[in-house]
Amino acid sequence: MNLDLTSDQLTLQTAIEQLADHHRTVPTGTIDHFVPGVALERDLEENGFFDVARQDDMGAVEAALLIETIAQLPFTVEVGASALVAPMVLPGQVLPRPIALARAPFTGPVRYLTTAKTALIDTGNDVRLIDLTGANIEPVKTPFAYPYGRLTEGDIAKAKVLKGVSPALLRQWWQVSLAVEIYGVAKAAVDLTVQYVKDRRQFNRPIGQFQSVQHRLAECTMLVHGTRILARRAAWSGKASDAAEAAAYAQEAATRIHYDTHQFHGAMGITAEYPLHLWSFRLKALQGELGGQFEQAKAAAVAHWGA
Amino acid sequence: MDFEWTAEHNAFRERLRDVLTRTLPADWGVKSRYDTSSEYVSKYSRTFCPMLAKEGLLIPHWAKELGGEGLDGFHHWILGEEMVAAGEPRSYQYMSVNWVGPTLMKYGTKAQVDEFIPKIKSGNFIWCQGFSEPNAGSDLAALSTRAERTKNGYIINGSKIWTSGASFANHCFMLARTGGARRSGVSVFLIPMDAKGVEVRVIPNYIGERTVHEVFFTDVEVPEEWRLGEENKGWDIVTHVLNLERIGIPRYAFSLRVLDHAIDLLKQRGKYSDSAVQARAGRAKAACEASRHMALSIINERVNGRPASATTNVARYALVTSDRMIAEFLGDFLHDDLVGGNDPMIMSGYRRTGSVGIASGAAEVQLDLIARNLLQLPRGD
Ligand SMILES: Cc1cc2nc3c(=O)[nH]c(=O)nc-3n(C[C@H](O)[C@H](O)[C@H](O)COP(=O)(O)OP(=O)(O)OC[C@H]3O[C@@H](n4cnc5c(N)ncnc54)[C@H](O)[C@@H]3O)c2cc1C
Repeated sequence: MNLDLTSDQLTLQTAIEQLADHHRTVPTGTIDHFVPGVALERDLEENGFFDVARQDDMGAVEAALLIETIAQLPFTVEVGASALVAPMVLPGQVLPRPIALARAPFTGPVRYLTTAKTALIDTGNDVRLIDLTGANIEPVKTPFAYPYGRLTEGDIAKAKVLKGVSPALLRQWWQVSLAVEIYGVAKAAVDLTVQYVKDRRQFNRPIGQFQSVQHRLAECTMLVHGTRILARRAAWSGKASDAAEAAAYAQEAATRIHYDTHQFHGAMGITAEYPLHLWSFRLKALQGELGGQFEQAKAAAVAHWGA
Repeated sequence: MDFEWTAEHNAFRERLRDVLTRTLPADWGVKSRYDTSSEYVSKYSRTFCPMLAKEGLLIPHWAKELGGEGLDGFHHWILGEEMVAAGEPRSYQYMSVNWVGPTLMKYGTKAQVDEFIPKIKSGNFIWCQGFSEPNAGSDLAALSTRAERTKNGYIINGSKIWTSGASFANHCFMLARTGGARRSGVSVFLIPMDAKGVEVRVIPNYIGERTVHEVFFTDVEVPEEWRLGEENKGWDIVTHVLNLERIGIPRYAFSLRVLDHAIDLLKQRGKYSDSAVQARAGRAKAACEASRHMALSIINERVNGRPASATTNVARYALVTSDRMIAEFLGDFLHDDLVGGNDPMIMSGYRRTGSVGIASGAAEVQLDLIARNLLQLPRGD
């Protein structure tokens, strides 16, 4: 047991932070639902970061460190499926990215589908792959801060069954990726809010001086810490039960942190001109993915105590 | 980053389990009711702890010169997990191991170390903690028990409240005012419970048999040598103690066991397959695992020699949250067992969750400390 990062992990983390430093703010005047991180994506690609889990002596933990930092940035970039899920599920194969993760039968729009070159689909019985190059994906307008698209019957017909790949394994790494991403997004949302309540004054004092504000932000901080440690453990262990626990905890945290960070921004938080939504509406999206907290918590129980 | 226990850690845990299986009586659950403060457990601890001492399992993380095994802080934590999961057969002797001993070693004179460390090592010496007073709970710095200077030392007058284990403790690690107001006038004293002028009353309560007491000090004569550390410098010691105490008991270890047991009962009754039950159980399990790993992160800091920070309060609040989820789960799904009151593990699991958000500093105080020290939010009025 040593919960410190190794010196290699620290070096990696520093390199990721240095790259991230070039992408910490969105252009002024941005009022979009989300801001695709085109330059960020290019930087990550050029520096080989999406392949971090495939490097010698590296793996899921290093991919998790990458997602932790990138998810804190205001830009939207598909990193979880490319850097963590795909390498853990298909170690011998590099798939064209961005990668979208979907479940069948299809219940709704799929995150990142509009930009994805590959979709991995958990049908419950097997894992299928759709090559989306040249596919005509119908974009879907959502309240969330990610691009969403809908698969058509035609796309689905092109799906190939990936032999020997277990859907449970795909779900497990999807859960881990969700948990890590929620950590990063939630951390940034809480950090922004803590700064806001220090700056914003009402009743002749910073609103962060009110105990009701302080306590709820302290609780959010606990949820952020808890999400990170469980996500890291799940990335480290590769155990299904750890993944389900991490995702269940993270999705509950996402719900709470979305609510509190908005509450403490007052009306400012609902404007497109203020950046909170770039994180908070990612949290809202991640909260319900893969069946939401209820499904992950059930999965955690089944993994530990049986069905 | 490595979440794996080393072979030594695993072997140590196995040894502890083996000792517990060999030693605890078959009807331990019924006899102890998993109540650290019961007469049965406190008496039991007086043979159990000397046995642990003989096996080198009482203070494994203390330095060899002091009679320990020189093992790392994770060994101490594993010891705590296994003992707590078993219902704490060490009774309140865990306090000696967790914070009294380490604090004496840091702040004590040679004479104090020579006097108390061998006693703690013997496994037959129980301490209680005399901090809280009727008018000094969360606001501990308001304490008013007074130690007046005399020619040979001090005379102490005042009273303490909520003192765990006081009716069977040998010694009290207590705070008294020796100087001016608030933190700057506090000193620590080590008082034998049989000193003239010390009286104890058990406070009936629903957590445990002798969990809380009142302790009255009336003209207690105290020689200078019973003071720990410098006069009026007691607050540094308090901070040190509270940091060790707040992340000192791996409470989740018992909570996880209670949850396992609750699921067994629900399975026998055909109620576990309900997906609402499963989801709530999974949620409570995840919260316990989060608090476990946040506590381990604190131990990791200690093992690596880094000073305590407000993340201790974050981890403490996580413990509060996860124990609360266990209580909610039991209340919602094992109502009949709580009403029946026959299952010692369910009952103890339920009862003990009632104190976690109050003892060692109320949950709201932990949140204050996180807001102030970690988030650097401005102090309230
Ligand atoms: C089982 C148990 C064992 C204990 N054992 C010991 C022991 O061995 N030795 C010992 O010295 N003490 C012991 N205590 C006492 C414990 O440390 C105190 O109960 C605790 O510090 C709270 O003090 P209080 O009970 O006076 O509550 P109060 O200080 O009266 O507070 C009551 C409630 O008010 C709220 N509150 C208080 N202050 C604030 C604030 N600043 N902001 C917001 N809300 C606030 C909190 O919700 C708190 O729970 C024990 C307590 C329990 C329950």
